Amino acid sequence: MIDWPTATLEVKDRDPLVVQNPKTWSHSHSYGGWGKFFLGLQEKKILATRCVNPSCAEKRLWLPPRCECPDCWSEMEWLEAPQEARIYTWSVVKYPGELFKLPSDTPLISVEIEGVCTKLLSWLKDGEPKIGMPVNAVFNTGRPTNTILDLAWVPK
Amino acid sequence: MIKLSRENLRIPKFEKPVYVVAGGLTDYRKRYPEKNSCQLCTEAIRMAVEQNDLKVSPDELRSMVNWCVYSQFADHFGDQLLAAAKIHDYLGFDPLGNIEVKTGGATGGSAVLSAAQAVASGYANCVPVVGWERMDEVSTKVGNSYIASAACKDFESELGWMYASYYALMAQRYQFENNVPRETLAQIAVKNHEYACYSPYAQSPGKYSIEEVLKNDIVSHPLSFLECCTMSVGSAVLFLADEETAYKLTDQPILLKAICGGSHTLRTADRRHMPILLLPNETEETYKDYFTGDRADWPGFSSFLASRMAAYLAYNMAGIKDPVEDFDLLETHDAFTISDIQTYEDIGLRPYGRGREFIESGDAYFEGRLPTNLSGGLIGTMHAVGATGIFQIVELLWQLQNKWEKFHADPELWHRYGKNKPSDFRNLQVENARRACAISHAGTGSHVTCAILEKP
Repeated sequence: MIDWPTATLEVKDRDPLVVQNPKTWSHSHSYGGWGKFFLGLQEKKILATRCVNPSCAEKRLWLPPRCECPDCWSEMEWLEAPQEARIYTWSVVKYPGELFKLPSDTPLISVEIEGVCTKLLSWLKDGEPKIGMPVNAVFNTGRPTNTILDLAWVPK
Repeated sequence: MIKLSRENLRIPKFEKPVYVVAGGLTDYRKRYPEKNSCQLCTEAIRMAVEQNDLKVSPDELRSMVNWCVYSQFADHFGDQLLAAAKIHDYLGFDPLGNIEVKTGGATGGSAVLSAAQAVASGYANCVPVVGWERMDEVSTKVGNSYIASAACKDFESELGWMYASYYALMAQRYQFENNVPRETLAQIAVKNHEYACYSPYAQSPGKYSIEEVLKNDIVSHPLSFLECCTMSVGSAVLFLADEETAYKLTDQPILLKAICGGSHTLRTADRRHMPILLLPNETEETYKDYFTGDRADWPGFSSFLASRMAAYLAYNMAGIKDPVEDFDLLETHDAFTISDIQTYEDIGLRPYGRGREFIESGDAYFEGRLPTNLSGGLIGTMHAVGATGIFQIVELLWQLQNKWEKFHADPELWHRYGKNKPSDFRNLQVENARRACAISHAGTGSHVTCAILEKP
């Protein structure tokens, strides 16, 4: 005879019946071709991509990088992006969602980098954000999170 | 795409006219443990078939259905993959074919678009669109993190795990470029919370002053809680039909003249500058001085290309020349006060940079030139995501059928949801409304649909 299960669901309420369904597993997420970017942060490099197709009009860098060009689907080349930027916009997050690895009140910033066609989302590690403020990149190489949080910016 | 070809901009057409015949809602609550999702969808469909003065019995209507569309944003919220199959079964529609549509916040609009395509092509002639969302199985903090997993998880979500922050970034940039008084943004929140006071379905009604909105707790600078949409549980249902079926069902079908979709990059970061796509009420002249001062990009962080694209297609499909003149009612996807003002510009209520005038002039109010979100919108009434785009069209259907009072003013309806009709209730039926528009919107503008309804 098979025994009844030993694991049970905790009852939160009886009318109506509400049970707690725990979730404890993790996902093995591959960054695929974009992994290069995250590994690059450990070498204090911001790796971006550029389309090599001579007939494609977009010659600026993509950051976040894309392995293939959205305009022509050609493979792109990897290049280092400048580590100086300007704040394009910002917000201070007061009530972050679960999973946020930084404290509330962390300023989020979108940055403009010369020669880059996008406005990368990142965070400001020091100082008060202001639109147009020049910032320099800093890298979390000590105990990396292996996420986009390993790149941040500080006032120039 | 930065350059759009003629074919990219081809105006969609329906082979057959598409009608909206009936709608049903539940009330919306932050937590709704009393009813499971199957029950909520049943409640909404029952309202659609029993209370819309149809000429056939619910049984007869059921016998006329030949295709179903389901609309739910997030499987992980309800913790049930293939939830649509469960709802479809519960509603007793097996073995009819069905499809579930998912485009984030615009799921409801896209589901109606998908149903319209089925009817317009002749694939089906009577289609229920059933939308719902259950967002109460997890805490608000986890819920926000779930929603933020609809941002790019590799390069964005980690930065806040909070969608309001991505709108806050747009708000800061929009303010920098256009210098709109904070009070103007707050006015939108005041308006929609107030209209929600006259809706028995509403989750977040309230009469607030501009000051109260601005002094309210900040979610992500500069947006306060009262400027952000609700997180809801509930359902909404709409029936679409071809002409013959529509008139068998009701004497008051409303024509779905157009419904079109646009998109843009999931990451706001990846939006490159491009020429402004002009609406019928704009010319090159409209924007000759636009790129001055702090404005260098379009759409940048201040505008939604997806909304502009959807409006461009829908306006041309329906022959709209000037939205403020041609529409009598509008429902926008007011997820945040800032996105509402951005949308005013994207859909041509005012040129880019001048969206504030739409609210400041009084146009957006009941008895204004284009009453907007009389339903209470997402800020005041609901954002049960998969139901939202459907809810908007249900509210417009009732307005165009002159049935707003029937579905809002009846004290019995308020009692059904455990509420009392307020003593200062206002009748928000727009007299002689003929044409209405609904905008359904996802992400930071990743998907948008624009629907245009018209009295035949």
